[in-house]
Amino acid sequence: MSATFLGYPRKNGSIGVRNWVGVISIMDNCNPVTRAICNAVDGTVPITTLFVRGQYGRDLEITYNTLAGMGANPNIASVLLIGLEEMTSEEVAKRIRPTGKRVEIINLQPDGTINAVANGTRIAMRMAIEASGIRRVSCPASSLVIGVECGGSDTTSGLSCNPAIGRMADRLVDDGGTIIISETSEFFGAEHLFAARAVDDKIRKEFVDKVVGFEQDAMKMGLDIRGTNPTPDNIRGGLTTIEEKAMGAMAKAGTRPLVGVLDYGESPVKKGLHFMATPAPAVESMTAFAAGGCQLIFFGTGVGNPIGNMVSPTVKVSGNVNTLRTMPDNIDVDVSELIEKGSKVTDVGDRLYGYTMEVASGTRTTSEVLDIRETAISRFGPTI
Amino acid sequence: MPRALVLNDLDNVATLIDSGKAGDDCALQGEAKGTVRLLADVPFGHKVCIKDTSAGQEILKYGTIIGKASAAIKPGAHVHTHNVESIRGRGDQAGSSK
Repeated sequence: MSATFLGYPRKNGSIGVRNWVGVISIMDNCNPVTRAICNAVDGTVPITTLFVRGQYGRDLEITYNTLAGMGANPNIASVLLIGLEEMTSEEVAKRIRPTGKRVEIINLQPDGTINAVANGTRIAMRMAIEASGIRRVSCPASSLVIGVECGGSDTTSGLSCNPAIGRMADRLVDDGGTIIISETSEFFGAEHLFAARAVDDKIRKEFVDKVVGFEQDAMKMGLDIRGTNPTPDNIRGGLTTIEEKAMGAMAKAGTRPLVGVLDYGESPVKKGLHFMATPAPAVESMTAFAAGGCQLIFFGTGVGNPIGNMVSPTVKVSGNVNTLRTMPDNIDVDVSELIEKGSKVTDVGDRLYGYTMEVASGTRTTSEVLDIRETAISRFGPTI
Repeated sequence: MPRALVLNDLDNVATLIDSGKAGDDCALQGEAKGTVRLLADVPFGHKVCIKDTSAGQEILKYGTIIGKASAAIKPGAHVHTHNVESIRGRGDQAGSSK
């Protein structure tokens, strides 16, 4: 029998696992107002951004789509956009409106920040009250889209947390849901194994082109990427090369076929396992997951990386006994028995899948409760 | 006795799941059995060589190539960035080895 959870139904048929009012900065210069409104109104999440002013071409298009994607995410009940001027704000608003959710705009011009905070606070307050009237209902696991991430990886990641997350991923795909794995550079050396899982030659080529293209771009810098990826803490944790890290990282995607390849922040249109092309740093990658509609993120960590996403609650999983002792406040699920007791990945992963439904139904995560959350939209070109 | 996991019988490295000191006998688990005597301190999570490996030879873990030896490596030696290099992402070598 397929798993179910209690979620918030949205007008476009998607299902939220949280029910927040999203307050979104359209540009960096709007962030102080966004934060002030969220400090004043319970039930809101601040979605801040850097840049936008001076961006152009594909880089700007991806930024607009990513901001709008976070607003469109099913975990967001309604959206208050904080902009500087009306034209740019409308670029984001028009991309969110097709979801049918309420979208309001406050611009700092011409009335200034104090009026913007006051007017925005009034709107956000009403939105928070409206959202609180929505009730959770029983929903099939097939309505979930989950991003699988790793950060602060070490050699335990590939032996414990990532395989356990991979089993959770297989279970969700078998129940008709969707998994997205990202971090293009973390396939260097393992891409042949992942490419073999593509459902057809077209998907295989799209995937390989993303990985090879990204490596060629990196090679143009004329540098050895070691020290940047693997990072200094990866190396301290025993990971020697990007190839070794890639083998461990790929384990979190489970074993099911690869059905789709997505650009940064793009939403999947099919069910099943997808790859999304993103840079490796977790905050950038998870921002793209949130924009792509992931309601949850599972995050495997070895030496420990506490960060979560603002829109997609982030479940931290570790199998490193030392990290579980030194950073327990930052870990949601302990899977150290895989290494310490030789427990079966299927058993531990099945329990993790059960916990997935708990978190989807409202159980909160460490990064959520402690507000260890951040947003960063990747850049794909210079600011002019 | 520190423990080390061998993930594939092709592998020439094992991953320590306890920290080990030089001179310790390390118990192999997983796809190989027996012990290997550590020639150096090997921290938790780091790798030890389990098969004599010459310079330039591929390093195998998960039965997959994870790099190549930049120096000869004896069984029991700590295997890490000082004696293994990446094959991938080597912009520093681009164009020089054609």
